[in-house]
Amino acid sequence: MQILDKLTSSNKSERRVRKKFEEVKGLSITSLLDELTIILVFLVKNISTEVVKISAEPKITYPHTITNDKLLEKAGTTPIKIFPDRVVVGAEALEYGSPAELVTDAKKRQDLFTYLKMEADDIIQHQKAETCLLVQADYSIPCDYITEIVRIATAARYSYIYFATLEDADWLKKYSAGLAE
Amino acid sequence: MGHYRPSAMRQQKAQTVPQEPNLIPIMNLFLTIIPMLMMMVVISQIALLALNFSQGEGGVSYGQGGGGGGAQTEKVEIHILGNQYAQENNTTIGMEIREAGFKPMTIPALNGYYDYVTLNKTLQEIRSRKETLSDITVLVHPDVLYGDLMKTIDLCKVNGFTQVHYTAAKVEYY
Repeated sequence: MQILDKLTSSNKSERRVRKKFEEVKGLSITSLLDELTIILVFLVKNISTEVVKISAEPKITYPHTITNDKLLEKAGTTPIKIFPDRVVVGAEALEYGSPAELVTDAKKRQDLFTYLKMEADDIIQHQKAETCLLVQADYSIPCDYITEIVRIATAARYSYIYFATLEDADWLKKYSAGLAE
Repeated sequence: MGHYRPSAMRQQKAQTVPQEPNLIPIMNLFLTIIPMLMMMVVISQIALLALNFSQGEGGVSYGQGGGGGGAQTEKVEIHILGNQYAQENNTTIGMEIREAGFKPMTIPALNGYYDYVTLNKTLQEIRSRKETLSDITVLVHPDVLYGDLMKTIDLCKVNGFTQVHYTAAKVEYY
C-alpha cells in the first residue's frame, strides 16, 4: 500500500514529497534459485552409484598414496571391507566374520569363494562388464589376510583388484619429516 | 461469458497485473533433493590402486613373481621383510631390492619404520637404468601391514612401474 502525502506551504513553495510507508515487495528468490540450481547440477554430476559403493568408511584408516588409478568405466565392482575386527562383503554389506578367520577357517574361505564366484558370474553374464574387487582395508591389517582375499578373488575370476586409499601427493615428504623427528 | 476478437482478448490480458512465477514448489523440490545428494556425496575422495590380473596367470604366487600379469623379462623384486622374518634371521625389518645382474640391496628400517625415501631413490635409479621396464614384483611377508604394502606399490607406480606383481612370501596353512 502506498500513501503519498503531499503538502504545499502557504508561500507556494513546493515541499518535499515523501513516502509515509515503504512499499512491501515480495521476497526475490531468483538468485537463491540460481545458486541452488548450480549446486544441484554439481551434485548430480559427482554422484554415481559407484561412488555410493566405494564411500569412505569412517572406521577404516586408509593408507595414503600419490597415485590414483581410475576405476574401469565398464566395471562390475564388488566391495570388500576389512576392519580391524570384522570383514564386510558385497554391496549388501554381509557380515563375514573376523579377518583372522580368512586364514584359520577353511570353511569360511570356501564360503567367501562361493559368494565371490557367484558375484563374478553375475557381473560377467548379466552386466557384461569387467570383474573388479574393491578392497577397503585398514592400514593395520596384516598382508596375510590381503593375500588370502586376493587369492580367493582371482580364483573366483576377478580380473582387477582395486585397493582403496586416500590420495595425498605429499605423504612421502610428511613421512620423511616424521622420520627425521 | 462473452466472446472477444483476438485483438480484444490480447488487450484484456495486457491489462492484468503481471504475475511472478510461483517458485515455491520448485524450491521445495530443491530443498529436498540437495540435502539428500549432499548426504550421498563423498567428502574424502577415495583413491584407488589397481592390480590387473587379467593378463597373466592370475592369483597370488608364493615365493616367486606372479599375480599382476605381464611377462617379466628383466626381473626386479622388492621384498618387504616383516618382524617374523627379522626374528628368524636375526636381522632388522626392512626391504630388499633384488635385480637381475646386481647384488641384493637391503634398505633397513629406520626406528622400526620402513625407509620409503631410500626406496624411492633406489626405484628412481632403477628407472634411469631401465627406462622401458614397467614390471616389478612386490613380495610381501605375512605380518607386513597393509599400509606398508600400499605405500610400496604406490612408489613403484610413481616411478613408472605400472605393472606391479603381487607376491606372498610363504603360506603357513593348507
